Amino acid sequence: MVIIGGVAAGTKAASKAKRENPDLEVVVITKEKDISYAGCGLPYYIGGVIHERHELVVRKPEDFKNDQGIDILNEHEATKIDPAAKTVTYEAKNTGDVKTISYDYLVLAMGASPTLPNLDGKELKNIHTLRTVPDAEAIRRLVDSGEIKEAVVVGAGFIGLEAAENLHLKGIQVTVVEFAPLILSGYDEEMSLLIKNYLVEQGLNIKTGVGVTGFVGDDKGDVSGVKTGEETIPAQLVVWAGGVKPNVKIAKEAGIVIGPTGAIAVNEYQETNIPGIYAAGDCAENTNLITKEKVWFAMGSTANKTGRITGLNIVRGRKESLPGVLGTSIVKLFELHAARTGLTEKQAVEKGYNAVSVIVPGNDKAHYYPGYREIITKLIADSTDGKILGVQVIGEGQVDKPVDIIAALISCNGTLEQLSRLDLAYAPPFSMAMSTSILAANVLRNKIEGKFKGMNPTELKKAIDNNEAIVLDVRTEIEHFLKAVPGSINIPDKELEVRANEIPKDKKIVLACRVGKRAYMILSRLKKLGFTDLYIMDGGIACYPYELI
Amino acid sequence: MAEYEINARGLQCPGPIVQLFNQSKKAQAGDIIKIEVTDQGFKKDVQAWCKKTGCDLVDLKEENNVIYATIKKN
Repeated sequence: MVIIGGVAAGTKAASKAKRENPDLEVVVITKEKDISYAGCGLPYYIGGVIHERHELVVRKPEDFKNDQGIDILNEHEATKIDPAAKTVTYEAKNTGDVKTISYDYLVLAMGASPTLPNLDGKELKNIHTLRTVPDAEAIRRLVDSGEIKEAVVVGAGFIGLEAAENLHLKGIQVTVVEFAPLILSGYDEEMSLLIKNYLVEQGLNIKTGVGVTGFVGDDKGDVSGVKTGEETIPAQLVVWAGGVKPNVKIAKEAGIVIGPTGAIAVNEYQETNIPGIYAAGDCAENTNLITKEKVWFAMGSTANKTGRITGLNIVRGRKESLPGVLGTSIVKLFELHAARTGLTEKQAVEKGYNAVSVIVPGNDKAHYYPGYREIITKLIADSTDGKILGVQVIGEGQVDKPVDIIAALISCNGTLEQLSRLDLAYAPPFSMAMSTSILAANVLRNKIEGKFKGMNPTELKKAIDNNEAIVLDVRTEIEHFLKAVPGSINIPDKELEVRANEIPKDKKIVLACRVGKRAYMILSRLKKLGFTDLYIMDGGIACYPYELI
Repeated sequence: MAEYEINARGLQCPGPIVQLFNQSKKAQAGDIIKIEVTDQGFKKDVQAWCKKTGCDLVDLKEENNVIYATIKKN
């Protein structure tokens, strides 16, 4: 068994196959010096949260040989696959020696690589991608030198934002430049903006919808700025985290089918189109468990799973399969936690689902238990059958639990009804008596059953701008004084009947309170007063990401 | 110059800020109001409050999940 690539999927496939069949000869070819390293930990290494290099690179090539009998050819690059002869040609990076090895089974685990486009000034020093241990070491040296005052991070995905946080915590002034209009692509607009607002409050400068057009340097050949059209952002360090692409070149040249996403096409057993050749990890395609479409999620969690399945199937034959993934992910940025799974509302609508959503703030523990934190849940389901389609949870509290619960439920075709009935672990230090997930399911069921009409913050912003809606804020005067939607009218719930004449009759009335509860309670009183075009502001003021005054 | 202390532990939003508001109405310029709160939303509320009313936020700290704010009315 020959494996090309030695990070997550490659070494996992090797270890699993060897465990299943100790007599199997297993050889891993990797162009990198380090193997089996913690790629996802690299941003924390540049900031010194992970202090030592050896914490990232736990096992050395000789450990694989001594402990498991797996041969590792590190610093060797596979250059050609010959499926007819069943051979792989590889080159020693230090000596240039070229050799060929035969295989019965071949595993492609070449991973993905960052793509730094051909921009003016890209050859300047101190422009780094962040994918490998040497990348992280180079950035760490610059950071530790104390000479970096300003840095630009290009790309506002996980790695980019984690790197930005770590650089900021080192006292560097950081600007994040993202080409897309929103940060973190797996989140809907309002959730993405809430995360962005938080990061800006923490001191990051974030520019979205902005493309990098080149780099400028000083007379020593070091980078000194990043050009974004007319503007130049000063930077003595650039971290390029503007996306990765699957490494498929030698696979493609060997006639292995590349899927619509640009990654290697595999079936649920991780088999490619050529018998005996498997692909796993970031170079292989995934299937979306909900839509059944081909997708590409380059995730460490999936890489380990597909590596294990590959190793097992090579020895046992179609023993295990991966029906699909949900794009489940989680990130910690400063004290904010953000996690998501399934489809976003936007994706769900585009794919033709009758998607309905709610945004529900709640607490991760009982509100009377010290140290509880607010978390905001956006839950998305199909209104026709109640099937859960996705969730996004953000806040300073615990978000992995709700997202994992819902990921498990989506994997079993679960519905809102099932979610609202789940018997979940509860005591005050761990959850509210009605957990945030159950609360969100109940609110969404009420919405689907027509008990109220909701208005999403993004829709609301548009409706206000178009003068179609007005916010009726039913919080106390002092709350409204602290922060309120521009143009909103404040009638505290106690004064509603007395002041009903102040409410306009020619517009949609969107009821707002801090989280939505008081607004819901007031709905029937307003109906009694003759108002009909009534909406509840989804998530309340707490989840409104646009300007508040 | 008087000093007032408010224990708003256990109260959820808007309880703590309403208590601060009421106390502030009774206070004179130069008076100090100290408040203890367990509601996490209070940190932002008190900052916004001071900014909008022109009060000084003399101190804002969190110890063992309790937020302690000291405000000077101007």
